[in-house]
Amino acid sequence: MAEAAFDEVIHAPLRLRICGLLSPVDRLDFAVIRTALGVSDATLSKQLKTLIASGYVASSKAASAGRDDARRITWLSLTPDGRRAFDAHVRALQEIAGLNPK
Amino acid sequence: MESDLQRPSGDGARAALNELTADRERLAENVRVPRALMAGFGGVAAWWVGMAAATSPGQMYQPPAMGWLALAVSLVFVHLVQRDTGIRFRRMGPRALVAVAGAVVACLALYSISLALVSLGLHWGVVLTSVTAFASTTWLAGVAYSSAVARLRHG
Repeated sequence: MAEAAFDEVIHAPLRLRICGLLSPVDRLDFAVIRTALGVSDATLSKQLKTLIASGYVASSKAASAGRDDARRITWLSLTPDGRRAFDAHVRALQEIAGLNPK
Repeated sequence: MESDLQRPSGDGARAALNELTADRERLAENVRVPRALMAGFGGVAAWWVGMAAATSPGQMYQPPAMGWLALAVSLVFVHLVQRDTGIRFRRMGPRALVAVAGAVVACLALYSISLALVSLGLHWGVVLTSVTAFASTTWLAGVAYSSAVARLRHG
């Protein structure tokens, strides 16, 4: 289990929530995250750029059936480093909150 | 921006953790089970079970080579489900795995029953086993997908 470690890149509210959505899955479509968080494309893109630059999130594009060629699915996933950092950050939050995770 | 990066208080940390839980709840609520694609799995199962009608059970029995094609088509449906829902699961969970195993076992049993019917000259009976395979696989695929979505809530 990850050791508690507060991560300032992840802790920004929206970035924490993005990682929280990506954590239980292998990958999510950009549009699914945007809908779940209720934010605009631009806001989500900006935060994702920071997470991708930090090596915490990976992105890949795929053609989408039912959409024209110009529109593609953007798949997003936590990298192994991102997963470790998020787990450690959640443990740090649990410690701060006094939840004492086992 | 700077205030976002400071360590939160206990209440702030609790609120952040609660928000993560609420987001996962919202994600799970937004996911709809793609019924048409679940029926696609049922169609593949019905097709595979129906192949028994074209075999000659007995000493010279040769299993149909199209079984691998059915598996390949199933994998295409898995891909389509991921594209349709925008989610690729990391783990499906034990309930979903039991449902998938149940579908496989049901199809194998129905295929065996179909072979028995064919060996008795009751080729028409394969229609019934195929329909049963379609219904059971469609239902179990839906159960598996719903279980995987429900598991999202727990992180």
